[in-house]
Amino acid sequence: MRVGVLAAWWLVLTGLLVWAASRFQGFPLAAAREAAVADHAFRFLMLMASPVFTLVMAALLYSVLSRRGQGDPPEPPPYVPEHPAVPRVWFALTAALAAYVIYNPGLVGLAEMREVPLSQLLGSSPGGRVRLASLGGAEGDLVVRVRASRWLWQFEYPEQGIAARELVLPVGRRVRFEVTATDIVHSFWVPAFRTKIDAVPNLTTYLHVTPTRTGSFEESVDLRVQCAELCGVGHALMASPVRVLEPEKFDAWVAQQARR
Amino acid sequence: MRVTGPVLKGLLYGAVGYVLGGPVLAAVVRAAGGSFPFDLELAAGSVLGTVGWLAGVGMWDVWARGWFGLPLRSWPEDDGVARYFRFTTDHKVIGIQYLVTFLGLLFLGGALAMLMRWELMRPGMQLLTLNGFNQVMSLHGIIMIAVAVAILLGGLGNYCVPLMIGAHDMAFPRVNALSYWLTPPVAVMLLASLLVGGWDSGWTAYPPLSTVNAPGQVLMIVAVVIFGLSSILGGINFLVTIARMRAPGMTWGRLPIFVWSVFAASLLSFVVTQYLAASLLMVLLDRVAGMSYFHFARGGTPVVYQQLFWFYSHPAVYIMIVPAFGAALEVITHFARTPLYAYRWVVGAFLGIVGLSTIVWAHHNFTSGMPDWMHAPMLATTEAISVPTGLVFLSALGTLLRGRLWLRTPMLFALAWVWNFLIGGITGIFNADVATDLHLHDTYFVVAHFHYTIMGGEIFALLAAVYYWYPKITGRMYDERLGRLHFWWSFLAFNATFLPMFWAGLHGMNRRIADYPAALGSVNLWTSLAAFLLGASFLVFLYNFVVSWVRGPRAEANPWQASTLEWQVPSPPPVENFPAPPAVVGAPYVYGMPGVRHAVLGAAGGSER
Repeated sequence: MRVGVLAAWWLVLTGLLVWAASRFQGFPLAAAREAAVADHAFRFLMLMASPVFTLVMAALLYSVLSRRGQGDPPEPPPYVPEHPAVPRVWFALTAALAAYVIYNPGLVGLAEMREVPLSQLLGSSPGGRVRLASLGGAEGDLVVRVRASRWLWQFEYPEQGIAARELVLPVGRRVRFEVTATDIVHSFWVPAFRTKIDAVPNLTTYLHVTPTRTGSFEESVDLRVQCAELCGVGHALMASPVRVLEPEKFDAWVAQQARR
Repeated sequence: MRVTGPVLKGLLYGAVGYVLGGPVLAAVVRAAGGSFPFDLELAAGSVLGTVGWLAGVGMWDVWARGWFGLPLRSWPEDDGVARYFRFTTDHKVIGIQYLVTFLGLLFLGGALAMLMRWELMRPGMQLLTLNGFNQVMSLHGIIMIAVAVAILLGGLGNYCVPLMIGAHDMAFPRVNALSYWLTPPVAVMLLASLLVGGWDSGWTAYPPLSTVNAPGQVLMIVAVVIFGLSSILGGINFLVTIARMRAPGMTWGRLPIFVWSVFAASLLSFVVTQYLAASLLMVLLDRVAGMSYFHFARGGTPVVYQQLFWFYSHPAVYIMIVPAFGAALEVITHFARTPLYAYRWVVGAFLGIVGLSTIVWAHHNFTSGMPDWMHAPMLATTEAISVPTGLVFLSALGTLLRGRLWLRTPMLFALAWVWNFLIGGITGIFNADVATDLHLHDTYFVVAHFHYTIMGGEIFALLAAVYYWYPKITGRMYDERLGRLHFWWSFLAFNATFLPMFWAGLHGMNRRIADYPAALGSVNLWTSLAAFLLGASFLVFLYNFVVSWVRGPRAEANPWQASTLEWQVPSPPPVENFPAPPAVVGAPYVYGMPGVRHAVLGAAGGSER
């Protein structure tokens, strides 16, 4: 086996894939801070995975193209004892790579997603001081209570004293969703926000999202609340439109809803 | 009658058992003024029906009569086709029973997938109702899970492990037969569930949905619990067989890698399957006994089910894939004509996977509302599994690069396994990482990921192994040209089907939906057309499998000139395998080492066991 040829193949394939991954734009509409975090992590994982993928591909292609034997079956090559260092080095390298991916984008991405310092994330043990509610960041600029039932979504704005069947949010404000269900498990998911949380009966779950651009379901189907947990007959159709508005338009919408 | 007698008797006793345990018992209780819900009738009836089936099919005659001091009845071991329809104990017969039964179920599950792809080909509803789609999807899911758990272990594990370790049979031959004969009622119950409304909660059966849906759910629960029992019994049998039945000289370090993989997977199925049974029994008790584990109206806690369920169901994917690792590496080393590279590291990796797989379950629950502190440790343990898995790749690649490749059909499928499982493994990181998984969870990205691991990984390794051991099992050679056609056709169609699903999932197509936004129309049309091609490719396999078995050229004992023990006996091997225990004198894969042998047949002396 010519190590140089294999390495050259690997470098060329890796270069191509890294070039493609770093330019990857095939994401759906990104309409929230959380979407930017998720897409960054996604692209970063693609970059990290590229050399691993191409290493296996290079070895696979190389072996098929230049290690084919002649005859039925081919004459076995003379046995050469294994060098004990190779598996050790491989183990150490893959362990280091796994450890790094656990750190970044793993823990780093989790902390960014939840908007808490990494130290606080790691300090949040079962007996520790950080509790479930506060890990998502305790406060939001706006509270929306989400109630899921078969097969529709209801949104309550307790501070504004209104309720709606569509989800309307102001751009640039941190929204705290308090999610529950009245019957079975559903899941609150907005593809354009890249995050979801289950709606569970007898439990309130939390999710924080900061919309970063205005838009509506009519412009992009990614702006919809889609049930993402199998909930029976109407599961596929359990969706509600989302609208993200300028703050003044949001206030106007609130006022209009309150008059109803 | 000679052939079908025991099965007909089993069906009759099973029907009697069902009627006694279900309708009759219910009528008695109701006549006495008690209440007996229909769910309970179904559950009690199907349990007693299974007992009746087992008794009728032969367990009474060849086993249980002895408990009552009656003489046992027995059938001749070598009785042509009839022995495949009986409660017989030869591990090779049981292996073929498993293999054929679960290949049949694989085709049935595949047909259900074709139905789903037809429905999903265009937005809007075409063929099925919303509820009908959920039932088809649920049935596809559970059938394929059962196939994935049982086909490699039960089929090829049963057939090959005793041969490969130089044993005359499994440690507990009658328990082995029991493991197999428990599975037909499972299939019957899953299909019969459609008669009582089916069930629409997927193979995961999350409550509270599964506590309030149609009675078909009860049959699914009983079926899965019985299947779990079969799985545990099989696991114990493999553990004891491999620990205690190895031929003289077959040390742990000389076991073929497939045997090691069966050992590792059996350890898992023995230890974790009980969690699945426990969680489903709790759902059943919620339904029939008014308990409140998960029932929302009675203050239950649904998220607890999700933890319990994944205690089993994540390790379960390693019960499926570790034997596939073993089978693929087995094929790769023989067809690369060189010893398996880094053998001891792979054994360590299998055991590492067994250990790690039990502490990663909650990555299925990142969005479930479980305590937030569980996210960091679970993403860490999950991503750590890539390290032992990486060693499996090291072994495959090292063997390929040091070998002289013989590109026959088994090897082609084993090489496809490397490609498919690599994609499946790498995309797993995106699901293990919380920042990306919060979006990707429960989407087609996950569907694509697990089909790459289980279908692309396990089923492609299974196909490699089926082609590899086909001449040994059937005594006939399959058609090589059709084998290659099947390979290229299924490999290309598989990737054409499942690669676009990653894109669909990223773009907001969630799982288990009968309909989707029109914007996702073109990717679904493409996927459906590719899926039909993939389905059709399996007809080539079916034709080759059946016709070659009947008319293929006779296979010699060792057509691959392979070094391991199963190839040193005739094809197919005689009852009890070896005339005398073989003496194992060296490593399993002795290629390129002139004069070195793995085993000497008939040298361990006498017929003593």
